[in-house]
Amino acid sequence: MNSPIPRILRPVLCSVVLLFQTPSVHGAPEPGKPPVSSKQTTSPLWHIWSDGKNSVEAEFLSLDGDFVQVRLRSGATHRLNLTKLQPADRIFAEKAKGFITQTAIPTATGSSSLASSTPAQPTNPTAAASSSTAGSIVPTGEVSFRRDVMPVFFRANCNSGGCHGAAPGKDGFRLSLFGYDAAGDYFRLTQQMLGRRIDLAAPEESLLLLKATGDVTHTGGTLFDKKSAYYQILLKWIEQGAQNDSANVAEVTGIRIEPAKLLFQGPSKRQALKVFASYSDGSSRDITPLALYVTNNKTTADINEDGLVTSGRHGATDVFARFNRFTIGAPVVVLPQEGTFEWPPDAKPTNFIDELVFAKLKHLQIQPSGIASDEQFLRRITLDLTGLPPTEDEIRTFVASIKPDKRERLADILLARPEYADVWAARWGDWLKLLGDTNSGSGTDTKAAVAYHAWLVEQFRNNVPLDRFIHAQVASVGSNFSQPETNFYTMLPAGNYEPKAMAQSVAQLCLGIRIQCAECHNHPFDRWTQDDYYGFVSFFTGVRRKMASEPREYYIFNDNSAPPAKHQLDQRPMPPRLLGGGEPNVQGKDPRNALADWLTSPENTLFATSMANRVWSQFFGIGVVDPIDDLRITNPPSNSELFEELGKRLVAYQFDQKRLIRDIVTSRTYQLSSRVTRSNKDDSRQFSHAPVRRLPSIVALDAISSATEAETHWNHHPDGYRGMQIYDTGRRYGSYFLACFGQSDRETSDATKDNREVTLSQTLHLINGDTIQGKIQQSQVVTKLLTAKTPPEQAVESLYLRSLSRKPSGEELAVFKKLAATPPTRVDYDRLWWALLNSTEFLFQH
Amino acid sequence: MTPILSTALAFPLKRSRFLAPITTCLLVLSGIHSTQAAPPNWDDHIRPILKNRCFKCHGEEDQKGDLNLQTLAAALKGGTSGEVLKKNRPNSSILLQSILHEEGVEKMPPKSSKLPDEEIELIRQWILAGLPEKSGSPSSAPATFAFKPSNPGTKPANPAMPANLPALPSAGKRANPVTALASSPWAPLIATGGHGQIAFFNAETKTNLGAIPFPEGIPQVLRFSRDGSTLLVAGGKPVQSGKVVLFDVATGKRLAAFGDETDTVLAADFSPDGKLVAIGGPNKLVKVFHTADGSLAYKITKHMDWVTALEFSPDGSRLASGDRAAGIYVWEAATGGIAMTLAEHKEAISSLTWRPDGNIIASASEDGSVILWNMKDGFPSATLTGIHTPKPQGKRYGKVPGGVLSLVWTPEGHMLSVGRDNAVREWDSNGGKLSAVEGLPTLPSRVTGTFDGKLAVIGDAEGRLLWWPKGAKEATLTP
Repeated sequence: MNSPIPRILRPVLCSVVLLFQTPSVHGAPEPGKPPVSSKQTTSPLWHIWSDGKNSVEAEFLSLDGDFVQVRLRSGATHRLNLTKLQPADRIFAEKAKGFITQTAIPTATGSSSLASSTPAQPTNPTAAASSSTAGSIVPTGEVSFRRDVMPVFFRANCNSGGCHGAAPGKDGFRLSLFGYDAAGDYFRLTQQMLGRRIDLAAPEESLLLLKATGDVTHTGGTLFDKKSAYYQILLKWIEQGAQNDSANVAEVTGIRIEPAKLLFQGPSKRQALKVFASYSDGSSRDITPLALYVTNNKTTADINEDGLVTSGRHGATDVFARFNRFTIGAPVVVLPQEGTFEWPPDAKPTNFIDELVFAKLKHLQIQPSGIASDEQFLRRITLDLTGLPPTEDEIRTFVASIKPDKRERLADILLARPEYADVWAARWGDWLKLLGDTNSGSGTDTKAAVAYHAWLVEQFRNNVPLDRFIHAQVASVGSNFSQPETNFYTMLPAGNYEPKAMAQSVAQLCLGIRIQCAECHNHPFDRWTQDDYYGFVSFFTGVRRKMASEPREYYIFNDNSAPPAKHQLDQRPMPPRLLGGGEPNVQGKDPRNALADWLTSPENTLFATSMANRVWSQFFGIGVVDPIDDLRITNPPSNSELFEELGKRLVAYQFDQKRLIRDIVTSRTYQLSSRVTRSNKDDSRQFSHAPVRRLPSIVALDAISSATEAETHWNHHPDGYRGMQIYDTGRRYGSYFLACFGQSDRETSDATKDNREVTLSQTLHLINGDTIQGKIQQSQVVTKLLTAKTPPEQAVESLYLRSLSRKPSGEELAVFKKLAATPPTRVDYDRLWWALLNSTEFLFQH
Repeated sequence: MTPILSTALAFPLKRSRFLAPITTCLLVLSGIHSTQAAPPNWDDHIRPILKNRCFKCHGEEDQKGDLNLQTLAAALKGGTSGEVLKKNRPNSSILLQSILHEEGVEKMPPKSSKLPDEEIELIRQWILAGLPEKSGSPSSAPATFAFKPSNPGTKPANPAMPANLPALPSAGKRANPVTALASSPWAPLIATGGHGQIAFFNAETKTNLGAIPFPEGIPQVLRFSRDGSTLLVAGGKPVQSGKVVLFDVATGKRLAAFGDETDTVLAADFSPDGKLVAIGGPNKLVKVFHTADGSLAYKITKHMDWVTALEFSPDGSRLASGDRAAGIYVWEAATGGIAMTLAEHKEAISSLTWRPDGNIIASASEDGSVILWNMKDGFPSATLTGIHTPKPQGKRYGKVPGGVLSLVWTPEGHMLSVGRDNAVREWDSNGGKLSAVEGLPTLPSRVTGTFDGKLAVIGDAEGRLLWWPKGAKEATLTP
């Protein structure tokens, strides 16, 4: 069970033993010879495993992807897969790692800053092997519960969410998730069931140890063996009496990763990370064997449980180490193996966006695509800014124009269109969960919802700065009819006001972060603690709603004497505290004012960057941080410089959204073609080419209506209302199309609620459903073309422009002529019309 | 005064804007009675709350779920979910569960936040006090039974004392907590469980009388037979093996062994006539064996969690068992047929112990309470809450773990309890407070009383014994 021979080596061993028995094998140990420890060997390159009966000596030869080549003394070589190692085979892994750390670094080239940040590697192989073993984490003196024992539960995943860290525990034993409650864990281990989990009289018989080593039935299996440092730490702690820590035990204050950045040239290169923790007493130590490792993109850079990074496909990603409540990331760049990168000479930046995007692309050795054609650009920007495709006339005029700044002029024209405000009101309607209900008992009344929607439209029509837009809502007081922004506090799931849900929404909407994990435990993948969470909730504990002059109306106010939220762990009252900020003095005042001031202050980079990122995502389908409302240490920006600069610009523009949008749509980055090149085909996060995006549900429906000139009728709305103008979700009016195309149900603030996935049912609905068929039947476009006796070439061109915003190619025209009667009949045009509206080119933005 | 009154009336009335009218109303009442006087009653306290919060849907006009709370009589009838109020049992009352928004019941009031804590507490105290209708309603107090000592056995001519047992070997590097403790019913003899052994002590001289080995593991239960001649030892190795072994007290000889469990035995007892042995443990089963041939008499599969406590009634007709999920059942000892379900605790049951006259069974729980159950009707006759809650050290918020770890009746009809507040307490036959020692040096894990009623013996988390002459100011460690 606890044999140090790796399981994977056991089949190998059989053959090795045979070899050893052959007299011709040089240097084979005699049978019965006691196992040799690595210290006694003369050649440091030979590593030994033994299960007490057989022993094997092997020399590490080389690395090949996930495989390490070893040569046995017999001369035979074997390939061992490092990724297939079981936890019990830790000794092998450590030795292999020792080998790797002293030979395999640095394979990377290019960055000199990287080379200097790489820790010096020991030259003696055995020194490398022993220094990389986990032995150093076993304390020589007194074992501390918090400093030494708790990290073992973390590292061995004992306290993870799927095991004993689950809220009810596992099989009757509970640990706090990732160890946020050390005092509770100590109680449950030592005192909850006296004499069961810890055996002070016979420490090695403690259930805690027997379970971890798999010596007794354990649902979680074998976690480590008796030789491991993890076992030694736990055993030593029990032998010393399983003592609790004194009150002044040093706490972890942060972790550090080395190297801070990784750069690889080509796949299958390796580099080991080291992680150090610093403590409140000023000490620090290497906790590499105690950290957990994760990568954001396995295909670009994989990381194993020992912190060894292996390069993969060309691109950039991040790897992370977690320890205690801290997570730290290191960016990884993998360059192509062959180093013949050239930047296209015509790809010159037009503004700061291009400079930052192109700098990152050059660093990653990714070439941008060429520039989009006028038709492509016109369609893209018109859909993005107005939610509608360009009309025939607009296309003809724009393409015909020879003004050198016609694209900039177009941006200004579109930004001034009233549809611009409708697009943003609908987007914010999704995020603000704007819903109306005719039964005011089960939700906010329709009248209030309509007023809120009108208020949103007005804000964007007047280009109200985003800081004022948010401030007005967060600090709102009054009737939700006459002060519609107070509906910020009425759009609630099931109509219930809950300070926690409100705090979560505000953090997500205004700061782009999700703090809800910290309700029950410190955020496992970010820096937010339960203290942060409940301090933030306290800004909303005084919000009250009362019936106003009529039953449909709410009056929102703040009870300034309301007590703050209580900490979940010990019921401590938590005074209002800003996330990552201080505790404003709000005694006897409405704390939401202080909150709104802080949220929207120019110094609050979280606010500015997350607002700018929301704007950015409208034009690229994804944010620089994506999802746009889930910024965390483990989900960093794909281009940090760009992310920060967008925020800075928004501040400099005094939160003028239109000005930032103008920068975006006039950048070369936005105008790149969607056609990928060999160099950028794998890139989906660095904006090296325009993304191919399925039209959002409402835009798709409006585009069909607009192309066919066949209006969609909405209940409770006058004729001529576009889907984009509906105050509520169209799916609530029974629009199957919108539900099928993933329109947000507005039940949460999650930006991903507006689902842009492509599904089979969407395709089937377009082919067989009533939307396109119905619109074509309703449409007068073909009728008018026939009535006007339009020549077939012009008629086909008209249909192409209306749907695909481009003229048909000669080939396409030829195919139509071949299939259609002469002259083409209504049926021929309707069929072409149907085919165009069903095409991928129509349904996607590119 | 019944223990209920001692705990019931300390309801903390924090002043709150919302509660102002109710608080005022209470203060008026307090002027008439003493502030410690009557529990909340229907007319003065409960009906006003319900009127304000519930009558709209559960009143004369509308009876959602067929529930009408307008009058006490109607409220007692309950609705489609059955009774919503159970006398003396707030935790089992659906009405309280609903307003506490507990899992598995409909949350009331629907779609809005919980009632203020003060109102909930009033309702809880009212149920606990037996649903009194008016101030001083006489019938509301739970029934109590005077304890009439009745000797459950005949004193043997020479009560067994161990003789010539091997000396107590060293228990290991450090001692485990005392996980099992028992007192002979007829002799000054204390048995205590350690790692792999059972040690005997003379309760008069407090000296060690040797030990018998228990290679099966850690003893979890020790019980003397009615005549004091046989010792039942139950225990084992966690997640490995469990057994019950009977020893001859005088010689230390093994007499019989039962069970071949895959985890340690956590609860065990033998019937007063010695014919049955019952065991329970992490497999959630209660197994009852015939001692004559070791055959299985029956198996009880009703427990949903580890069986943590078991005891036969003094007349041998009933068997009570309790589990880690707070469930308690009383069974017909001969057949295993169910007699009662005693649901009211919120956390693991640590002890179940019958009053020597068999009229009451007392249950102790990690929820910090002891309940005395009337065995005639299965209702609590006294509920002692928070009796082992540690005093807060410095400024502390929230719930402090305050479990009762061990509870036992003494032959004269008193109870002894120890708990997580490092205290040992003595109670009278109906749960009235007698005396206590607080501030024991370590966590007390088990308690028992000597045969003559003079001493309480406490086992602690460091494997030591403390001796407390009942009523004395302190307990002393074994010299």
